[in-house]
Amino acid sequence: MSQDTELDAWRREWQSQTTILADLRRQVERQSRWLKIGIAADILVTVAIGGGVIALAARWPQPDFVVLAVATWMFIAVAWAFGLAINRGNWSPAAMDTAAFVDLSIRRCRARLASAWFGACLGACEIVFNLAWVYRHSAEHRQPLLAWLLFGSLPMDLVWLFTLAFFGFLFWYRRKKHAELAWLLDLSGEAAGQSRVRRGWRLRRAKKMRKA
Amino acid sequence: MKSFTEADAVLAGEGPFAIVERAELEQQFDQLLTANGAALGRLAASYTNTASDRDDLLQEIAMAVWQALRTFRAECSARTFLFRIAHNRAIAYLSRNRAQFACEEMDVHDPAPDPESGLAQQQRAERLRRAIHRLPVVYRQVITLALEDMGYAEIAEVLGISESNVGVRLSRARQLLRESLENFK
Repeated sequence: MSQDTELDAWRREWQSQTTILADLRRQVERQSRWLKIGIAADILVTVAIGGGVIALAARWPQPDFVVLAVATWMFIAVAWAFGLAINRGNWSPAAMDTAAFVDLSIRRCRARLASAWFGACLGACEIVFNLAWVYRHSAEHRQPLLAWLLFGSLPMDLVWLFTLAFFGFLFWYRRKKHAELAWLLDLSGEAAGQSRVRRGWRLRRAKKMRKA
Repeated sequence: MKSFTEADAVLAGEGPFAIVERAELEQQFDQLLTANGAALGRLAASYTNTASDRDDLLQEIAMAVWQALRTFRAECSARTFLFRIAHNRAIAYLSRNRAQFACEEMDVHDPAPDPESGLAQQQRAERLRRAIHRLPVVYRQVITLALEDMGYAEIAEVLGISESNVGVRLSRARQLLRESLENFK
């Protein structure tokens, strides 16, 4: 079988497969709504938490609440600044082709890994600040710090549970993104390897021609 | 069902010009998917293991096409544009689901219109699809595009590589595919 006949035969077999497309349009419509809702939710959470602490500080203008509002807005500002900085240049590929998309995916994956570290650090800072604030604020019925932290109450148990879940999630997320990055780097290397093979073949051919 | 135009315009609070523009986009989107639906289905099937995964990937591709359509400036053919997006989404999908696809065997079946007469053809097509699914991604990309009647120039444009590189990859892909099909016999 000649190669072209072979490719033609494969084409016929390949194109004989027909898929009944699901109602993509309805699904895409739903998905694009959810995307918009997701973006709105991000903004809403920022405004709700940031607005909430400002409202608290306005309602009870004591130093404790002012400190809470200032610190919360600092955390929000740092998080947004990091998010914008880390995603700079990662919004769209340099060129509209698959090679550029793989490069972009690698950059995004690295950004997610850095974000996971940043999230862990910021999360730890927020937890320490919030616990310190709550401990200071509950001065009337203050227990020794260690007892309060470890055996304080059900809300404290929930805080530790949430903290564990948060850092467990970050650990799982980093492992997942590491594996994704390794796969993308392999893919990119595989593609680049082909170019190197081709370049090597060209060089060898050029040497042979020069000798001839 | 509400169309994109109405639903999105209501959500975004857009004016009449935006609505007209969206109606055009909607028409373009429908035309693209109608003309290339079968090819997209085959492409999605070559990257996934099950019918539901294939449908998920198709949905992701359709979503990405819808989002990218407004930036399409006809600098390349609509088919090239569509396949670029489809392959990009497929890579993103694979990178998220590597472990799953590394260990599972494919099980995608589509009901043929006439099972008896089309059985042999269907089996050959299924064998080919399985063999293509086993190829490394860089070869899978190039062979699936070649099997959709694309020339070297168009494949190079979709993948962002040189035409000579397409030739090398296609030749290697064919060799691997031949070996893989021999093993299936």
